Amino acid sequence: MTDQSWKERLGDQIPEERSREIETFAGQMELRRQSKLDEKVFAETRLRWGIYGQRYDNGQRYDGVKTQTLVYPAGDLTKGPNTYWDAPGMLRIKIPFGGVNPEQMEVLAEVADEYSDGILHVTTRQDFQLHFVHIDDMPDLMRRLASVGITSQEACGNTVRNVTACPLSGICHDELFDVTPYAKAMAYFLLGHGDTQDFGRKFKTAFSGCEQHACGLVNMHDLGLLARTKEVDGEIKRGFAVFVGGGLGAIPQQAKLLNSFVTEEEILPLAQAIARVFARLGEKKNRNRARMKFLVEQLGIDEFRRLVYEERDKLSPDERWSAYVDDVPGYHETPPHLPTSLNGHARPEGFDTWYQTNVYKQRQQGYVAIYINLPLGDMTSSQMFALADIAKQYAGDTVRTTVEQNLLLRWISEADLPEIYSQLKPLGLAEANVNTIADITTCPGTDTCKLGIASSRGLTGELRHQLIAKIDTLPEAVKDLKIKVSGCFNSCGQHHVADIGFFGNSRRSGNYLVPHFQLVLGGKWKQNAGSFGLAMGAVPSKRVPEVLEAITNRFASERSTSETFQDWVTRLGKKEIKAMLEPFTKVPAYEVDSSFYTDWGDTREYSLGDIGVGECAGEVVSLFSMEITKAESTHFDSLIALDEGNYEKADENAYRAMILAARALNRTRFPALTEDPNKIVEEFRTQFYDTKLFFDPFAGGKFAQFLFDRHEFPPTNKADPDAAKRLVGEAQLFIEACYSCEARVNGSIIDLG
Amino acid sequence: MIPLRTQVKFFLENPEGVELAAFMGVFQRWIQQNLLEGLMIDVADYLHVFDGPGIVLIGHASDYFMESHNGRIGLLYTRKRQTDPDLQSQLRNSFRLALRACELLENDPTFTPRLKFRTDEIEIRFADRLQIPNRPESLDLVKRDLETVLGELYGSNAVHIKPVQQDARHIFTIKATSVSALSIADLQRQTSAEH
Repeated sequence: MTDQSWKERLGDQIPEERSREIETFAGQMELRRQSKLDEKVFAETRLRWGIYGQRYDNGQRYDGVKTQTLVYPAGDLTKGPNTYWDAPGMLRIKIPFGGVNPEQMEVLAEVADEYSDGILHVTTRQDFQLHFVHIDDMPDLMRRLASVGITSQEACGNTVRNVTACPLSGICHDELFDVTPYAKAMAYFLLGHGDTQDFGRKFKTAFSGCEQHACGLVNMHDLGLLARTKEVDGEIKRGFAVFVGGGLGAIPQQAKLLNSFVTEEEILPLAQAIARVFARLGEKKNRNRARMKFLVEQLGIDEFRRLVYEERDKLSPDERWSAYVDDVPGYHETPPHLPTSLNGHARPEGFDTWYQTNVYKQRQQGYVAIYINLPLGDMTSSQMFALADIAKQYAGDTVRTTVEQNLLLRWISEADLPEIYSQLKPLGLAEANVNTIADITTCPGTDTCKLGIASSRGLTGELRHQLIAKIDTLPEAVKDLKIKVSGCFNSCGQHHVADIGFFGNSRRSGNYLVPHFQLVLGGKWKQNAGSFGLAMGAVPSKRVPEVLEAITNRFASERSTSETFQDWVTRLGKKEIKAMLEPFTKVPAYEVDSSFYTDWGDTREYSLGDIGVGECAGEVVSLFSMEITKAESTHFDSLIALDEGNYEKADENAYRAMILAARALNRTRFPALTEDPNKIVEEFRTQFYDTKLFFDPFAGGKFAQFLFDRHEFPPTNKADPDAAKRLVGEAQLFIEACYSCEARVNGSIIDLG
Repeated sequence: MIPLRTQVKFFLENPEGVELAAFMGVFQRWIQQNLLEGLMIDVADYLHVFDGPGIVLIGHASDYFMESHNGRIGLLYTRKRQTDPDLQSQLRNSFRLALRACELLENDPTFTPRLKFRTDEIEIRFADRLQIPNRPESLDLVKRDLETVLGELYGSNAVHIKPVQQDARHIFTIKATSVSALSIADLQRQTSAEH
């Protein structure tokens, strides 16, 4: 066998700068192995190379009966705080604007085989991810990717993450112009830029070509750029409306308009100025408030704008700002075949159904784009090799990943469709139903993510299975709905912008914990993530399919002609929705139906991980349960008040709900009653916050801050709709956190300090 | 130098009616009861992926897949982390651990009728395109070691090895066939014998 290394084999194929950077990282790995590099520093370093931890990398795993200690050969050597060196990790691979070429696809397939489990996963930000990768393999993996122009740099960590763009850019009927070259320029300008290295948190950027469709979803990004044109001196100039401060996370926030028209030459320096302001003024100590949305909210958009332009004026000129603009007019993809029509061509069995959902007619006559439906965003190396061949023969220069975890082949000559379909089918890549209710987006959840609370992938797999079986019988209005699932409140599955969203949580039932999902209804995917849904109530994970059926059946039967799902949800009202959910919230006793006590796709008895169910006295209905119900009820009142436009009442009820939840928790330790909010908050702070009993292993004490902030700093304008909505959402999360705390503590003291 | 990953697949003799989903519970139990050598970490479900990895028991140095690649259900063992001193040792350990997993599955009461693995046909794969590219001449790189290890397992029963012709981009794969009627237990006995 050869003694040659990948470094030697690839040699000049890797750009010199990339090669040097990878060498530096390999050196840092060695320093860490020798304990000469602090683990926290190394952790941030590897994150900036897209190297993430995975579930159980703290050396513990609940096996369904007990928590096992995972003893790795490298012993106590860590790659970050509480993260063992040998533990399998995840590599996130950046794909700017989602564009990959066939050569890159082949290398991606190779590395999935050799370093991972043979699966490539498409994320909700157009990246690829490989799971179960050992950190020792990372340098060679990176070299192989770098040799075909792919990087994992700044895919994770406090950096500018992947720059996304609508996958239909360049072929869409409704776009103003192709945003691809701009997204590409932005991605490579900001990558490793000196002004983007000192953020307190991640920074996400997206490009959209149109306003009315989902497109690039600019409304939910830290920096969103929406294509615009403007007549200047008789000439049509291209530019962008620039939005800032959007984000999902636990509490979603719509982006605010920074400038309604920024020229092509200005978008890069403006992004640089925004980065400087974020780096300088963004929160760095409290990670829970470190996203740019908090800074924009704190300063207000006018002051933020002033600071950005003040920074802009200080920037030293950089030729890169405008150098790319000269290349834009020449940017195009080259289809391998001339445009044709499908008429008269023989159509294989199943083709027509597939055509209806998976084929998009480009604005360029005679060309179409094909969506490849990837269940849960996953595909094998073999599928990737085969798709690369199809792309080489039939498609334009790039295949695009989509944020809905599919792939898009573009510039297909329409007459080639039957042959392509015939090739895709035996590969398992001709599944129909893209962009339908059966095409569900999900985050990795408890499969691999350390933050996962319930199995988003397990639930998604089950829902897909059920929906595919009956898709042909569903009314069109239901077929068009979007479902998105997250494993926890952090919304990596983008549940806030789904018609029907779910995020994982848990509830206690007797001595057991039961996986649940919070239902979020009425988000708007269109209009670039036009609005966010609201939490309606939690249901046991195993009842979610029934809940979905109840909601969709009712929508189908009650909607008036052309009424959207969002409008129907609003018309139905939260009281009615709550009443509809009520029957599904009941959890049978373990002895009656133990299936509720395991999650989808997992045979283990459900647990919150390392902190499992405590030994307890066996009360079925605890004092806490009775008290917290009051908090839930008051919170529900705040939702009603929002519905009615009574924002002052919504604020007051949300605050009161948190006080009641804190009181419920206090009473598990000290049964003495007090109604005084000051005393309740003080007691809560002393007994649960200062002791860290309230601290969740991954969220820390962040939700307690919601209570403290509202208690100590009541708003001057309680009638502010944005503030009221935000507080209602925060109150929900605080209540959830009280549930989690009680489940952990449950009568026994566990020191989490 | 030894390959990044060496894989050994034993095929089921009686795959009819076998549902891969059942192996999720089996693998979870193996972790609970520490039935395998080495550190076992988690179980991954890829049943939704066409011709995919199936159900995977993820370990530190080993993975165990119950998969149905090309429509043929079997136990695919993967040896990773390159902790063996040479290729022969890596192959020997791969077979030993794969056979242990097959033994456990053949004796698992979850399945009725009991599972039975073929021994007259095995696939060996080398997931290392740098050292063992998928070319006919790669057989020379592994032949001696592979024949030695297979000779230890099959004794006097002849075993023929032949590369599987496929897309050159895929990993190098060899099919080993024998006309022997040896059982999994027979082969296992050979793995514990002195060599």
